[in-house]
Amino acid sequence: MLEFLWVPFLACLVLTGIHVYLGLHVLARGVIFVDLALAQVAALGIAVAFLAGHPIQSEAAYWYALAFTLAGAGLFALSRTRRAPVPQEAIIGIVYAVSAAAAVLVVDRSPQGSEHIKQLLVGSILTVTPAEVWTLALLYGAIGALHWAIRKPVLEISFNPDAAARRALGWWDFVFYASFGLVVTSSVRIAGVLLVFSYLIVPATVGALLTRSIVGRLAVGWALGLGVSLGGLVGSYALDLPTGATIVVTFGTFLAVVALALAARALVGSVRARGVSSLRGLGVAVSALVGLTGLLLAAFPRADHHWLDWLESSAPSIQRVFLTAGERPVSRQSREALARGAAELERLRAMQQEVQWGTRQMSQEQEERLRQFLASRGEIVAGDRMVLRTLRDKARERQRWWLGLPLAAAGGAGAFLLTRRRRAT
Amino acid sequence: MLGALALVLLAAAPAWGSQEGGPASLSQQARGPLSVVTTSTDLKALVEEVGSDRVAVESLAPALHEPHAVEVKPGQLRRLKEAQLLVRIGLDHEPWLARVLRSVNDPRFGPGSPHYLDTSKAIELLQAETPRVRADRGVHVHGFGNPHYWLDPVNARLVTGAIADALSRLAPGNREVFAANRARFLERLDASVKRWTEAMAPYRGTRAVVVHESWPYFARRFGLIIVAAVEPTPGVPPSPASLAALTAKMRETGVKLLIAEPSSSAALVNQVATRSGARSVTLIPSVGGDPEAGDYLALFDVNVKRLTRALAEAR
Repeated sequence: MLEFLWVPFLACLVLTGIHVYLGLHVLARGVIFVDLALAQVAALGIAVAFLAGHPIQSEAAYWYALAFTLAGAGLFALSRTRRAPVPQEAIIGIVYAVSAAAAVLVVDRSPQGSEHIKQLLVGSILTVTPAEVWTLALLYGAIGALHWAIRKPVLEISFNPDAAARRALGWWDFVFYASFGLVVTSSVRIAGVLLVFSYLIVPATVGALLTRSIVGRLAVGWALGLGVSLGGLVGSYALDLPTGATIVVTFGTFLAVVALALAARALVGSVRARGVSSLRGLGVAVSALVGLTGLLLAAFPRADHHWLDWLESSAPSIQRVFLTAGERPVSRQSREALARGAAELERLRAMQQEVQWGTRQMSQEQEERLRQFLASRGEIVAGDRMVLRTLRDKARERQRWWLGLPLAAAGGAGAFLLTRRRRAT
Repeated sequence: MLGALALVLLAAAPAWGSQEGGPASLSQQARGPLSVVTTSTDLKALVEEVGSDRVAVESLAPALHEPHAVEVKPGQLRRLKEAQLLVRIGLDHEPWLARVLRSVNDPRFGPGSPHYLDTSKAIELLQAETPRVRADRGVHVHGFGNPHYWLDPVNARLVTGAIADALSRLAPGNREVFAANRARFLERLDASVKRWTEAMAPYRGTRAVVVHESWPYFARRFGLIIVAAVEPTPGVPPSPASLAALTAKMRETGVKLLIAEPSSSAALVNQVATRSGARSVTLIPSVGGDPEAGDYLALFDVNVKRLTRALAEAR
């Protein structure tokens, strides 16, 4: 496990270091999608280099990308200082869309080009090499030092824009966007757009939710980035999931947990201050949700009802109650047959794999027999699944009236009473 | 604009009159080459072999593309509307074609019409287990069998047969020309297949890992055994656990060959190759996917050359 994950983990650490800090600025300025726009502008630069006859991985292509990024940075710095009647986010969105479309037009002529350009934006954190991590660490170290040196004017522009506007700090703004563009383009190449965006925005958001001081936000963001990187990488290994997507979803889950915890704390606070009546809003929402699920079950018994599936799988008696005396043994037998069949199928497939890999010898005839046996076993398992599904549908037809309607009625009545009480008080 | 409209009408007119290949198709000859639209560059190459100068062929999709991201241009739509014949790979290889056909909205391009040719009908498909059975093995892409059948050169015999029949139905006057072209092509094909088979003979039974499941037909023809795919679902990167298991297994069982494609992620290919000790080789899946692979036979020349070089070095 370690041999696959330690280089990605180091890469995540490097990303956390610089992106959390830049994310604070991005969030304070309200230019959330500027990273996507700059990455796309760099990709357009590479597409133009490709059109001019340079290979995509060449040094010339890199300088093209850098030049385009700097031009983009200049544009963003300018569009901020002028008091324009449109929000800067509009300009960022337009730059993103137009440069993405222009890149498509530029590489349209060459069938080999478009696939490679696409790969510039879909890096994969899992396959990052130690050399790439070193280069990034050096580059980001230098940029970090630069930002430490110019922290005063840049922080002022981000967190106190009115004062900054009076002192004409436009050049510092350009330096900010230029270095930011350099960081984002380099990161996107190895980690992909989604991951870079998450490292930039989520830690800064959580930091802003929890504390007001810049140092505090930075500390929270770094701790979060470290924890989520570790959790995401281990989770991706343990649950056998794609790494980048797992880290991004871990970020999202963590943010949701923090938001829920903050909401719960606010609720507890208001219960203490104003008594149980402040829970009424929550009660109405829960009742309405219960009523709605009941109504859906009554109206569309054959649709997907995941909550009921989940209940039935953890407590099978919930379904058994709704089956007739004749159906119950069928359900039990099919379940057992399905478990047996699935195990057998797994064993046979493992055997087939061994034959393919050459770790088990088998004659041609045996191999063919194995293939046919697998196919017929598969059909039987599919048949058992179908029986269970039919039984479930029959149960649902009965649950519709005995479960769906009562739930709908209870939920509706609860919501009605709670809202009425509120009006009365 | 009026000119374009007239062209459309002109091109469509004989089609209405010639459902059974009647006299209207004879007038086709007088008007120059039969216009054919294919969905892939490989089919374009094969139609050109059979039709030579009697056909004008265009492929809707470029050589290397993602099947879900093909964007057809307005000019291509017009040429499809004017075309006498649409040739497609079939199965679920062209998910984008349904929308294109809906916007062209021409009843000629449907199953059963002489203007529509689905070459998969001529082929014995691989990996065509029933969808129901495969459904519980997880997501899989090729529900109707693996569609990369043009990568077995012997299948070109069946495909060109179907193409020659379709062209002859639309232009009966050229039937002999098409048959003679096809015979010449098959002669070259047979000689080449013999040469390729000989070149690959020392490596029969070699086990290989592929990045995408595009090579079962190619492998069966030349005696390679494909044991696993790095990215079973295109576009979804493999998880670290499956990558670790795969490379460990490759090292353990001595699998020395990794077959990639130009669109495969270079970082992923490098990583699997380094960790497993296998040699990676980039094969071209379609005519035009590489400057060297200019026509159908050249496609296999390039692939066999790259493969034998890699196999010789991997030994």
